[in-house]
Amino acid sequence: MLKNKKLSPGIIFILAAGCFNACTPINNNNKEIRNPAIESANPYAAVDKSPMDISYYPVNYPMLKMNGGDSNSLTARLIYSRPQKNGRTVFGYEKCIQQYGTYWRLGANEASEIEFFKPAIIKGQKIAKGRYIIYCIPYETKWIITLNNNLFSWGLHPDTLKDIAKIEIPLLKTDKIIEVFTMVFQPSASGADLIMAWDNTKAVLPISFQ
Amino acid sequence: MIRLLLSVLVFCFFATATSAQSKLPPVDKSPMDMSYYPNGYPVSKIQDKATEPLIARVIYSRPQKNSRVIFGDLLEYGKVWRLGANEATEVEFYQNIKINNTKVKKGRYTMYCIPYADKWTIIINKETDTWGSFKYDMKRDVVRMDVPVQKQTEITEAFVMAFEKTATGANLVMAWDDVKVSLPIVF
Repeated sequence: MLKNKKLSPGIIFILAAGCFNACTPINNNNKEIRNPAIESANPYAAVDKSPMDISYYPVNYPMLKMNGGDSNSLTARLIYSRPQKNGRTVFGYEKCIQQYGTYWRLGANEASEIEFFKPAIIKGQKIAKGRYIIYCIPYETKWIITLNNNLFSWGLHPDTLKDIAKIEIPLLKTDKIIEVFTMVFQPSASGADLIMAWDNTKAVLPISFQ
Repeated sequence: MIRLLLSVLVFCFFATATSAQSKLPPVDKSPMDMSYYPNGYPVSKIQDKATEPLIARVIYSRPQKNSRVIFGDLLEYGKVWRLGANEATEVEFYQNIKINNTKVKKGRYTMYCIPYADKWTIIINKETDTWGSFKYDMKRDVVRMDVPVQKQTEITEAFVMAFEKTATGANLVMAWDDVKVSLPIVF
């Protein structure tokens, strides 16, 4: 992601700040089995601790396309990074990764990016087709999701002047702990739901397409 | 026959993917990553330190060597490779550029590679959002360029793609195992 040979102290600071986010993690034990060789020895870019992933709507669109399925219906895709719980409290007021009421990039590293290939409507708000970054302010019972035009930015703080839509959605509890932050589209009666889940919480952003 | 095999493969993929966990996807074995030219652009941008505009971005997945012999074994010479894993690798140019003296218009493309012992043929293709190289269609090519293989003494464990500044633009450096190549991009 970044060429580690040329990191200036400023960038190192900003990267470190990004890892710790709003408050100090209560537990730093990294229980994952990791191969240090792939993280540090790479001469160009270490493998990210919070790996990037991509979600499509229709779900698994590239696979559908490969398998001779619909090739004209690409509707949305989302690129995000996947931080892990690692024994920590994720959302809370203190001793957590992400404080209630504070900005969160919905992932890690770069700001999460969503692209609509068709015009969309989210809770009555028209969203033109195109690419946006997407971020969140989490609260105990709701999330405020924002779409913003400041593309290709690192996800530390948003340029709120470039916000184009704010959508409030209720927060749901999950039965099981979700270790790795996940964003996926699921088909719904009116289009697609963007499911966002981490730890014991889940939020659903309803999207319909024109 | 190939179509049938592919269907079976895809079915197996979905079957394992859905049985292994309840609906939500696990972390990929070959994690996705992004590289930019200029390097680290998103960080420079939020610090107001970007001195050049964003020219290019690559989205690719990073398979790991895991003690295997990669070229000529895991990846057969002469066969199209997706330059990564999972989804085909994507490159986006934010202005017109040139590769192999051919103009490539700003936009999103898929990248493939045909590896040989001494060179890689790098392919820029118009068909985006595809999986692997199974549906690679030569007719959708925009440009191809052969670049020489440089042998490395140090092993690169995780496949990497990164941009390096040059006098005429940037090189897209690709390295895995004991092999490295550089694709010159002019802008």
